[in-house]
Amino acid sequence: MTQNIVIAGGLRTPFIKAWTLFDSLGAEQLGASCLRELLERTGLNPAAVDEVIVGCVGQPANAANVARVISLLAGIPKDKKAYTVHRNCASGFEAVTSAYEKILAGQDEVVIAGGAESMSNVPLFFSKEAQAIFMKLGRAKTLLQKLQVIAEFRPKHFSPVAGLMLGLSDPVCGLNMGQTAEVLAKKFAISRKAQDEFALASNNKTIAAREKLREEIMTMMLPPKFDQPVIDDNGAREGQTIDQLTKLKPAFEKLTGSVTAGNSSQITDGACMLIVTTEEKAKALGLEIMGRIVGYDYAGCEPSEMGMGPVFAIDRLMKRTGIDLKSVDLFEINEAFSAQVLACLEAVKSKTFAQQFLNRKEALGEIPMEKLNVNGGGIALGHPVGVSGARLILTALKELKRRKAKRAIVSLCIGGGQGGAVLLEAI
Amino acid sequence: MIDAWKLTVEDGIGVLMMDHPNSEVNVLTSEHLEQLDKHLDVLKTRTDLRALLFASAKKKIFIAGADINEIAKISSPDEAFQAAENGKAIFQKIEELPYATICVINGVCLGGGFELALSCWYRVASFSDAVKIGLPEVNLGILPGFGGSIRLPRLLGLLKSLPLILAGSVLGAQAAFKQGLVDKLFYEQTLLADAIQYAKVLGGIHHAARKESFQDKLLEGTSWGRNFIFSQAKKDVLKKTKGFYPAPLEIIKLIQSTYRTKGAAPYKEESRAFSKLGATAVSKACIRVFFLSERYKKKGWTSEKPANVDVKKVGVIGAGVMGGGIAHLVSSKNIPVRVKDIDTKALGGALKEAYGLFKASVKRRKLKPHGMLSQMNLISTGLTYDGIKNADVVIEAVVENLEVKKKVFKELASVVGKNTILASNTSSLPVTQMAAGCDNPSRVVGLHFFNPVNRMPLVEVIRAEQTSNETLEKTIAFSRKLGKTVIVTEDKPGFLVNRLLLPYLNEAALLMEEGMEPEKIDLIATQFGMPMGPVELVDQVGIDVGYKVAHILQEAFGERMKVAAILETAHQKKLLGKKGGKGFYLYDAHKKEGQKFRNPEIPFTAKGGISDETALKRMMYIMVNEAARCLEEKVIDSAETVDVGMIFGTGFPPFRGGLMDYADAVGLASIVEDLKSFEKQFGSRFAPCRLLTELAVQNKKFRN
Repeated sequence: MTQNIVIAGGLRTPFIKAWTLFDSLGAEQLGASCLRELLERTGLNPAAVDEVIVGCVGQPANAANVARVISLLAGIPKDKKAYTVHRNCASGFEAVTSAYEKILAGQDEVVIAGGAESMSNVPLFFSKEAQAIFMKLGRAKTLLQKLQVIAEFRPKHFSPVAGLMLGLSDPVCGLNMGQTAEVLAKKFAISRKAQDEFALASNNKTIAAREKLREEIMTMMLPPKFDQPVIDDNGAREGQTIDQLTKLKPAFEKLTGSVTAGNSSQITDGACMLIVTTEEKAKALGLEIMGRIVGYDYAGCEPSEMGMGPVFAIDRLMKRTGIDLKSVDLFEINEAFSAQVLACLEAVKSKTFAQQFLNRKEALGEIPMEKLNVNGGGIALGHPVGVSGARLILTALKELKRRKAKRAIVSLCIGGGQGGAVLLEAI
Repeated sequence: MIDAWKLTVEDGIGVLMMDHPNSEVNVLTSEHLEQLDKHLDVLKTRTDLRALLFASAKKKIFIAGADINEIAKISSPDEAFQAAENGKAIFQKIEELPYATICVINGVCLGGGFELALSCWYRVASFSDAVKIGLPEVNLGILPGFGGSIRLPRLLGLLKSLPLILAGSVLGAQAAFKQGLVDKLFYEQTLLADAIQYAKVLGGIHHAARKESFQDKLLEGTSWGRNFIFSQAKKDVLKKTKGFYPAPLEIIKLIQSTYRTKGAAPYKEESRAFSKLGATAVSKACIRVFFLSERYKKKGWTSEKPANVDVKKVGVIGAGVMGGGIAHLVSSKNIPVRVKDIDTKALGGALKEAYGLFKASVKRRKLKPHGMLSQMNLISTGLTYDGIKNADVVIEAVVENLEVKKKVFKELASVVGKNTILASNTSSLPVTQMAAGCDNPSRVVGLHFFNPVNRMPLVEVIRAEQTSNETLEKTIAFSRKLGKTVIVTEDKPGFLVNRLLLPYLNEAALLMEEGMEPEKIDLIATQFGMPMGPVELVDQVGIDVGYKVAHILQEAFGERMKVAAILETAHQKKLLGKKGGKGFYLYDAHKKEGQKFRNPEIPFTAKGGISDETALKRMMYIMVNEAARCLEEKVIDSAETVDVGMIFGTGFPPFRGGLMDYADAVGLASIVEDLKSFEKQFGSRFAPCRLLTELAVQNKKFRN
């Protein structure tokens, strides 16, 4: 490799539980505010940006190619490029790795990569049948015709389908994401207690890290009154106890399940933006280098066990970069579900798993709890699907700096049966 | 004399092209009208023509209107009547041509230009943004006198035409098409060719008569309905103009008596109505203000050439009412702006202010929702100098405290680029002292916006001692980009506008102290034509703000500007004015508009004895005297600058032509005499200054 690809600045909005504070802000608005603030804080000249790449899963119907909308609203000059990427839960990763590839290929020099997601605003859909009647109504000319069409409506036509639920389900294996976590819990015998404890730990770590996390969070002001500045994430629950978690009913398998709302990631709104460029260019622009991307990889896996994605991705990342897990100081594995992260940890240290699925003689190694998600994760922070990948990179780089540590692996499971992993290194 | 009109005929279609010799614009001077008249006499006899098109050889301009210089010279009603008759006789000939006539509007088509268009059968225009169509005569204190007042109502009906003529609205191509002012829109590039084709297709078919909707029939078709429309229009006009402007009322009267009448009579009626307005002082004053504002849009202020500024980023320090207003103004011109304050709450306040203003524009359909989205996103806020560092212009709008401002400027100068313009939005503090501690003080300048920023058209650009000409020119160019009218003042306390306005407000306070009811004082001022009475204005501005400025001026000018005791009292009682719910008056959201309730906390005993005339003179002449002093001290360059400042900065009644114009009209000798007598009765603050006395003695005027 000829040059280091670096992250030279990053920022995110607070992560806010869906249908609460950011309810009225679309993904384009969240992304634009975040990008604009990133430009202001770093002093990066908008004209120096070649391309804006944004991950977004629930792409707003009113802002097609939301990356372009974000780019323009944030004041990036009109002659610059922008596109939106979608690799489901790893869309934020995909934005960054696409930037990496574009820069290596010599297509771009300075790229804004990130994610923007408003899960509050994923639309509701009418059934196909109802849609047909609406179309007919639109074409009806006379009042009589209109009345005739209206008479075709039945109450069931007015119960919409939540786009969010569709998005969180896998049409191939037929399971929703929570159900895939249940599959893993059973396969790896992850107890309800272990899941709840992991969730509680995530919650507590996030609360303890509030001050630290503010370093990566911008203040958001909310229209129309702008009188309540939002400065922190609001997902973590102050004073949460194990009892509270234990009492919750399983969310996906009522009778036999162990995955609850409490030990799953939250549905969240937010945005995160990173500056990706070469080390040389970052220096020339006077940007503060946060760290370099050593390498990354994605891997496919069984869709009904999509939560295992990180294991396969980390395996490939290790092969690609030659890194061994012992020399990694920090791990961020996105907490889609407690069960899923715990299953990954089991698989990583399992020799049988390595032999059976990874074509390795020995286990991958070990991810020690004290190095994992040290500031909490999606269970407490929330998981705005298109954003989390970028957020993990930002959080990991900030923590590396605080600890004066060297390396971090960040990884995500991806709905549909994939995993992604990135190796970061402080410079 | 070169003929401004050129006729070409091809294939039975004539094109009469106007090309005002040696000018960038087409204006209908009386000479051009005479030439047109001659062409028309020949044209009406031509049997080879199927259609005639009126077009312009100028880029982006059809005909800008009649010659305003000629209107300004009209000195008697008879002269006015004759001018109107002459013009409309010619347009009558257009109407009577025996073949189709089409007006091809490629750009600005206003006043007389549009009246010409209205006398054609058809009007076509291009999609170009340059197209501006309307009858703005009312703004000059007159009415459309070449048949427009008769033909537009015929074309559009009352409901649509009346508001257009009364407000002097100017419409873009799309709006003009929608409203029916033009019949067809073509692409700019092929306008004339398309219009010719259109003429051919039309053949000899005359413009169809207006189709009346059910609502039209109900309202316009009955005398009851028409009376309702006219009385409503009159009410609106009186509310807006308070009766100071005779033109809109005359227009209503004219249309009321001519609508739905036929023959030559209505046109004669229009000339008569025009004659009542054409020579009035109000019209002359309006025309003068129009010329002034046009001139001040371009006026040069230094020996340097006007600067070309490309401001890509603006910083605003201080997120108060002014900071928020400035941020809104800048972003509404599509320039990114970063607002910094030391308090997040204040930042929220600035955003709310801007958001509210944008929202109001959307409501008034001045702005589309998507425009609001992108412009609102151009405003960002922060607690640090991040985002200020790379600004091209930084406007300081922190609290009016010299020490705080000095500190801000010192900090600013150390974080921004060496040539970044640093402007203070101070209303009265010395900019020179703010510049003193700065690295490269030559880029420091005063840029005084008025509240509310988006509505007040004036800015004072203040030249500090260190300010370079380059900085000054750039600031002027930037202000003009923001759509503001600029006056340049020297760095003397209060600059121009506040230095004149504060004595006026203070005098009102003194009148109150002497026992004149505040409602009465306000009434005297509004009857003079001020948009708001002085007591009300103090409440509106904020007693805290007014008090601060008053003290700065007292410090600078001593006894002459000694703050009235009643203002001191109001300040001690911590009354804020309207924003705090109570000032000299009480404010309650539920109260009806126009109703005033005195605040009992203000000690006041009513005493008679001051005549309305004396009160008005005291308030006005103290300003005249102070303005003369500003001229004497060369705070501003000319009496005209005073007029521009007062009209666009304080809403001084334009129909009085400005403060200096008003003083000239009263007569300086009589003003000096009154001032001397006031001096004896009320104190030395009225002592007429040297310049004013000299001018009076020499029987001269402020304006030559």
